[in-house]
Amino acid sequence: MSRRLLIVEDDTETRDFVAKGFAEEGFAVETAADGREGLYLATDGSFDAIVLDRMLPGLDGLALIKSVRAAGMRTPVLMLTAMSAVDERVKGLRAGADDYLVKPFSFQELHARIEALLRRPQEAEETALLACRDLEMDLLRRRVTRAGREITLTPREFQILEYFLRRKNRVISRTMLLEGVWDYHFDPNTNIVDVHISKLRRQIGDTGEAPLIETVRGAGYMMSDG
Amino acid sequence: MADVLRNARTRLVLASMLLSTALAAAVLALVYVTANRTIAAETRSVVEAELAGLETDYERLGVLGLITAIERRAEGAERRDALYLLTNRFGTVLAGNMMRWPPDVEPGSGWVELDLIRTASGETVPISAASLRLRGGERLLVGRDASARRQFEQVLLKTMGLALLAALALSLLTGGLLTRLVFSRLQETARTADEIVSGDLTRRIPLRGSGDEIDQMAGTLNEMLDRIEELVSNLRTTSNAIAHDLRSPLSRLRQKIEALGEPGLAPPTREVDGARALAEVDHLLRVLTQLTAISRAEAGLGRDQFEQVDPARLLRDVAELYDPLAAERDIALLVEASADPLPGHPALLAQALSNLIENALRYAPDGSTIRLSATSTDTNLCLAVADEGPGVPEADLHRLDQPFVTLDPSRGDGASGLGLALVAAIARMHGGRFEARRLTPGFEAALTLAR
Repeated sequence: MSRRLLIVEDDTETRDFVAKGFAEEGFAVETAADGREGLYLATDGSFDAIVLDRMLPGLDGLALIKSVRAAGMRTPVLMLTAMSAVDERVKGLRAGADDYLVKPFSFQELHARIEALLRRPQEAEETALLACRDLEMDLLRRRVTRAGREITLTPREFQILEYFLRRKNRVISRTMLLEGVWDYHFDPNTNIVDVHISKLRRQIGDTGEAPLIETVRGAGYMMSDG
Repeated sequence: MADVLRNARTRLVLASMLLSTALAAAVLALVYVTANRTIAAETRSVVEAELAGLETDYERLGVLGLITAIERRAEGAERRDALYLLTNRFGTVLAGNMMRWPPDVEPGSGWVELDLIRTASGETVPISAASLRLRGGERLLVGRDASARRQFEQVLLKTMGLALLAALALSLLTGGLLTRLVFSRLQETARTADEIVSGDLTRRIPLRGSGDEIDQMAGTLNEMLDRIEELVSNLRTTSNAIAHDLRSPLSRLRQKIEALGEPGLAPPTREVDGARALAEVDHLLRVLTQLTAISRAEAGLGRDQFEQVDPARLLRDVAELYDPLAAERDIALLVEASADPLPGHPALLAQALSNLIENALRYAPDGSTIRLSATSTDTNLCLAVADEGPGVPEADLHRLDQPFVTLDPSRGDGASGLGLALVAAIARMHGGRFEARRLTPGFEAALTLAR
């Protein structure tokens, strides 16, 4: 069964571009061009995720998400906005959005984030052990081993690795890492995230063929267990 | 006419004129009434004294004695404007310088004003008089010719009228002159304002150097104009710079998109061109994002999200982010923090520090040290990033935080020229300022924040 996605966006070009992209990724996509139609469709309850524009005619994106949440629906919502300021982001997240993406964005980034939302464990997964292939992480003892051999990591490297392990087989963009690991909401002018990743790769001996953390061109990174 | 009346100066002059004229008129009226009363009272007391004297003469000497006394007095009466009349009980004139008893005067009825005909000249004259009925039934009247007094009154009135006119003219003149002093300077101010409105922002209100209130006001207005001119010129420079800064990447982008449309392009070339076009777009987006962030910080938006920020933690976190990048070039990132928490916007402060560190990394030589420090005084908290690079010429220090100022245009390394402008805007948003200093060797950039 294909996953159902609702796109609420008043700009025709953006809406078509996003809808086409997700359709090609195998999603069943429905679209709405204004807030009222969006709210009507969203409360239908059959969608797995919603992409929602912040500024909409009829009913504002913030108001829409508040109504959806007030109706007791937990459907993951990603909010799109042209407003990049941190406080705007906070407003969106407080209103009940699960993630937030600033326009203009690349489709890969949006796709990566939607996948992340879809696979987000519905209930907080209380597990003490994370693993990917021969890499294992013990969250209680803060220990990481690869092929049984212990690896010493800095707290930050541990955090990055944990972030990947919790989102296996999903594309993780650089901005997602900056937000998720460092809680920074700005774009550095340098390739600082790549530097951290390559350092982590060296630490976990991820240098040969079929690395745990792959680079996904134009999008970011992915940890795959296949 | 309506225009003249609406004119503040005319109204002021008119008001002052009316006021002073009314005042003068009141004073003059008082003088007039007092003078009249005094003269009338004097005349009256003289007449009453004469009347009493003549009655005594009558009591002592009888009618004949009284006639003699009246005749004697009447001789010199012309000079004194005095009038006498004695008649018998039937009204027949016995003595005096008047032709007959005035018909409507009852003897003993007190003070009267009359028009009477005088015996000598035969002319009708105004008279103020008092009368008596004597014991034998004779009537006695003593008066004063009032024409002189009337004349005096008229002269007085005329003089006062003239004085009033003079007061009017004088108040017009002084009002005009005094208001001219003020209004000519107001007009200077208005003229200057007009010139500024028509586009010449360099105009200033001339000062007299007297230091009076008007000079002070003009001084304040001039300071305001200085500030406005500075802001406008900044704005102009910035928008010019934006236009200029966006023009070159946009035209490069245009060329690349054009090249992508060429038929028969080899796929690898197409891919490289596409990647370059994307890079240009990313650069443009970064510039726009930074400009938005700057104007939001300048407008003070986000102050409602201030929270207690621990400077040491802030520095350590940013340093930790950049540490691997620094390590690649053997650069040490040293954090020295000894400061108490302060209210601030954690995300924006982190962004400001990240800009400063990226800047320092750009210029620091391999193997050197970059020092991040937080030091507090009673009033300030100073977050500083110091490198051991070549530094910045003294003359350029003050313009580092201007938008689009890149001191080394040859370094086409993607610097937007907005990084430090954003840092300065974030500092101002926290009630502080951006400061740049030369070190030997090196360069220090700091945010000095109010605690």
